[in-house]
Amino acid sequence: MLNEKTLELLMSSFPKILEYGLKVTLPLAALAFILSTVIAVLVAMVQYADVPVIKEICRLYIWIIRGTPLLVQLMVAFYGLPLLGIHSNPFVMAVIVFSINEGAYSAETMRAAMEAVPAGQLEAGYCVGMNYMQIMWHIILPQAFRTAFPSLFNALISMVKDTSLASSITVVEMFTRTKQLAGQSYNYLPLYIEVALVYLIFCTVLTFIQKKGEKILGSYGQRK
Amino acid sequence: MALLQVKDIKKTFGDNEVLKGVSIEVNKGDVVSVLGPSGSGKTTLLRCINFLEKADGGRFVFDGREYDLSDISKKDIAAIRKKTGFVFQNYNLFANKTVIQNVTLGLTSARKIPSKEAENIAIDVLTKVGMEEFRDYYPSQLSGGQQQRVAIARALATKPEILYFDEPTSALDPQLTAEVLEVMRKLASEGMTMIVVTHEMGFAKDVSSHVIFMADGNIVEEGPAKEFFTAPKQARTKEFLRLTEN
Repeated sequence: MLNEKTLELLMSSFPKILEYGLKVTLPLAALAFILSTVIAVLVAMVQYADVPVIKEICRLYIWIIRGTPLLVQLMVAFYGLPLLGIHSNPFVMAVIVFSINEGAYSAETMRAAMEAVPAGQLEAGYCVGMNYMQIMWHIILPQAFRTAFPSLFNALISMVKDTSLASSITVVEMFTRTKQLAGQSYNYLPLYIEVALVYLIFCTVLTFIQKKGEKILGSYGQRK
Repeated sequence: MALLQVKDIKKTFGDNEVLKGVSIEVNKGDVVSVLGPSGSGKTTLLRCINFLEKADGGRFVFDGREYDLSDISKKDIAAIRKKTGFVFQNYNLFANKTVIQNVTLGLTSARKIPSKEAENIAIDVLTKVGMEEFRDYYPSQLSGGQQQRVAIARALATKPEILYFDEPTSALDPQLTAEVLEVMRKLASEGMTMIVVTHEMGFAKDVSSHVIFMADGNIVEEGPAKEFFTAPKQARTKEFLRLTEN
């Protein structure tokens, strides 16, 4: 199977696959991850602070998003948003859907991490005269973020691979590009193995970044 | 005039009435020890007057202004808290901040004091509690006694008019207890106004000017420390003192 012709195909395809990985897949995952983290922190804070009404809306959001498949959410957005007069390019739409999807999961991660910060930290903050938002910003969120970091990074690694679903709404990302190349050459398996390896490389690099990130965030003197 | 007055404070958790109408008065420079068996309501009293728990009823006079404890605005609470300091049983140092950041945070964030100035204040109070060498340590790297001394420094940094201590040495072994009590003695001798909920009879006897003995949500007996220990009036007080004598 691994004859000269296949080898040549793999060699010539690699830069083309990688190009779409770097140009589409990674930016899609990175943008969606950043936005989803912002959503997650806001939704978690609303629940932590027990804000009436808005809290219920947040629960509803989490319930719907976690209870429906990502692929279906992509489809609903792709066919539904234009009906509401919202026309945007598929890449932007994918970023939005991935952010909203991941935001629901990460919100629960963040909420759990915030609730794991001992109540005494909040009380001590009040007793030195700080207000709620100051305590959030300086004490609760940094500690919660440190706890949530590995789980949030898990989500990012998952998302890098899930971006292949964006092909369903015509986003030409790394996997779709590979499919095109495979179709042109009628040599499917080697190219799919190749793209699998590229995903693996991406995730290996991310795992490395996670380790570095955990070091930078520090553990406040523990396990130094 | 009294710096702080609590009138008829009441607090119930579920159907457990923890404070059944307690009144206290603290003058500037007083060191008031609050004694009593576990469950007597002394910690709840302290937490209610710093609004960590919401009292069900009672009046509160501080710095010449009177408030309704069950209906006090967030703004008033924030203003009062800026003039008080609280030391917890389990220290509650900010885990993600170093020793010096623990002390400066209340100054820079809540009071908008420039960081250089806040640092100078922090060094001052850390020196006072003998912790200036540990300025860049994290709480998890310190012993319980050291953490509590930093917590005292943090409370002192904001120049409070009164310091509340909630069983500050209950989580410490005798040696660490001694180092914390030493710091508290020093503060008392410098005229700091303090309310100390404690089980340290020695401290109450030697350092405090005034003792309040609580049981079952009521004040059983109170008076000048000397009188309280040498000539207790109530049977319940005599019994308590006899049991805690050794």
